[in-house]
Amino acid sequence: MSVQVKLPSALRPFADRQEQVALDGKTAGEVLDALFARHGGLKKQLLTDDGKMRNFVNIYVNDDDIRDLKGLNTPVKDGDAVLIVPAIAGGSATAEAALTKEELQRYHRHLILPEVGPEGQKKLKSAKVLCIGAGGLGSPLALYLTAAGVGRLGLVDFDSVDASNLQRQILHDTPSVGTSKLVSAKKRLNALNPNVDVQLHEQRLTSANAIDLFRQYDVIADGTDNFATRYLVNDACVLTGKPNAYGSIFKFEGQLSVFGAKDGPCYRCLYPEPPPPGLVPSCAEGGVLGVLPGVIGTMQALETLKLILGIGKPLIGRLMLFDALAMEWRTLKLKKNPACAVCGPGATIKAPIDYEAFCGLKTPPQAMPEISVEELRDKLARKDRFVLLDVREPHEYELASIPGSTLIPLGAVAERSGELDITKEIVVHCKMGGRSAKAVDILLKKGFKAVNVAGGIHAWSERIDPGVAQY
Amino acid sequence: MSLSVTKAVEALVRSAAEAAFPEECCGFLLGPTPEDFEVLGRPVVVEAVRPLPNGWESGERTRRYQIDPKLLAKVEEELSGSGRSIVGFYHSHPGVPAWPSPFDLLRAWPCYSYWIVSVMEGKTAGSRSWMRSEDGESFIEEAVEVA
Repeated sequence: MSVQVKLPSALRPFADRQEQVALDGKTAGEVLDALFARHGGLKKQLLTDDGKMRNFVNIYVNDDDIRDLKGLNTPVKDGDAVLIVPAIAGGSATAEAALTKEELQRYHRHLILPEVGPEGQKKLKSAKVLCIGAGGLGSPLALYLTAAGVGRLGLVDFDSVDASNLQRQILHDTPSVGTSKLVSAKKRLNALNPNVDVQLHEQRLTSANAIDLFRQYDVIADGTDNFATRYLVNDACVLTGKPNAYGSIFKFEGQLSVFGAKDGPCYRCLYPEPPPPGLVPSCAEGGVLGVLPGVIGTMQALETLKLILGIGKPLIGRLMLFDALAMEWRTLKLKKNPACAVCGPGATIKAPIDYEAFCGLKTPPQAMPEISVEELRDKLARKDRFVLLDVREPHEYELASIPGSTLIPLGAVAERSGELDITKEIVVHCKMGGRSAKAVDILLKKGFKAVNVAGGIHAWSERIDPGVAQY
Repeated sequence: MSLSVTKAVEALVRSAAEAAFPEECCGFLLGPTPEDFEVLGRPVVVEAVRPLPNGWESGERTRRYQIDPKLLAKVEEELSGSGRSIVGFYHSHPGVPAWPSPFDLLRAWPCYSYWIVSVMEGKTAGSRSWMRSEDGESFIEEAVEVA
């Protein structure tokens, strides 16, 4: 009964430099014993001190791994080949994230929970979470994930801290106004927990960079404030297979779910298309109650921890709706949409698309007729014949307005354009110039001669009349 | 002691490492079976490389690589009797230096050269080659010579 044992090049020095050795035995184990009896040096390389096969050694009988057969009891017959095949593996990370003495103290309340314990804490330490946005939702997300001890926390933002952020963005403080949001965030997070590797991605998230960025993380937490980025985050999560702990807020209401999980629905399953531009105002335009992002952001952080730890029932296939005024939560069941363009079986989106165009945010090719606030001042001084149309909401009009303006909120412009004198030039303004541009577009199509006031009432207050309040 | 590679081999490994970023790449180093393969400081000549799929589970490939043992057995069989063999392995370390990790050491075999390429922000940022010490307790660096 002669069996050929074939040795990889790295073992030949321990077997008189032979490629193969002919040995006798009825089983793979017997053949290996015979091999070790003849070449003692091999035993040390392949077996642990207590005689077990090392985990980086594979034994094959002909073409099959003996783990799939009967292990060392796998029978062998004359002419069979027994192959010793290295299991080659490695990588950049340490074998396992060990907890230091300081971390054992810091995470004590986690460690005594059987559902978390040292194993769970090590999972957190090995985990990499990417927060999209370091604003209202990103603040509680980043703070709690840092406190809980995730290994790496990535932050994507390109803004600087504005005074109007501080009413809810608790990651930033008054001395940080005017400085980079990410620098401000890192300072706070490092002070909270220096064990966390805070990675700053000071850039706009785009179709070009999202995939590479998401691949470097395990969980994505979406704290964005606009539809274009929200669809981008969703699609990039689905395309890279990363779960998205999603939250969004507006005025007094919040939404929460986990999208893009394996077999779960995605944001597009819920909303295949964005609302028409301008229909849903952003928080900057519509306002948001201060504590609300804290409620939703902390729950996103909670879902992120559950996803990492693999405990409980994550919010996959469920959408939670929060009404702060009624203090009510509602949970809706979500199903995967078989016709979904990104996660359905016939998905057409294979790479990130142009989300600005998808959300109708691309400005029309013809240049928007525009005047500056200085030109508006001169027009008013000359008492030119024109209508100054304000397309903001009534509560904004109460806070600040330009004398002599007519108020028709953007949502009503199409319907109420008949109230405007078509023989006069219509000069349109809003807070910053975004909504008024949409109104100009509507009016131009209806045959009006309309122009937009660049920078809106905000620019008016800054450059013409500081007596007009900024809000 | 050194790992000698051709310029073409170096270029191949660099492009494989950058293409795989942020995941790790891996592959075989092929060349004449060194005499005294087990002796620290033995020269190793790499004539060719064979890029391989990273066989580690998908979520962890940014920090782990694994080579399918069946592919290794197949290449050993192809080279049998030719005087050439698998003389080592290359893999990349995305975002970290080309030092072997404790996990690399845990899984290291004797004799082979372990050539590690660091990739920072998608671009290769130096490479170093290592051989396991006889006792398995550490890695000893060997110079990489590109000719």
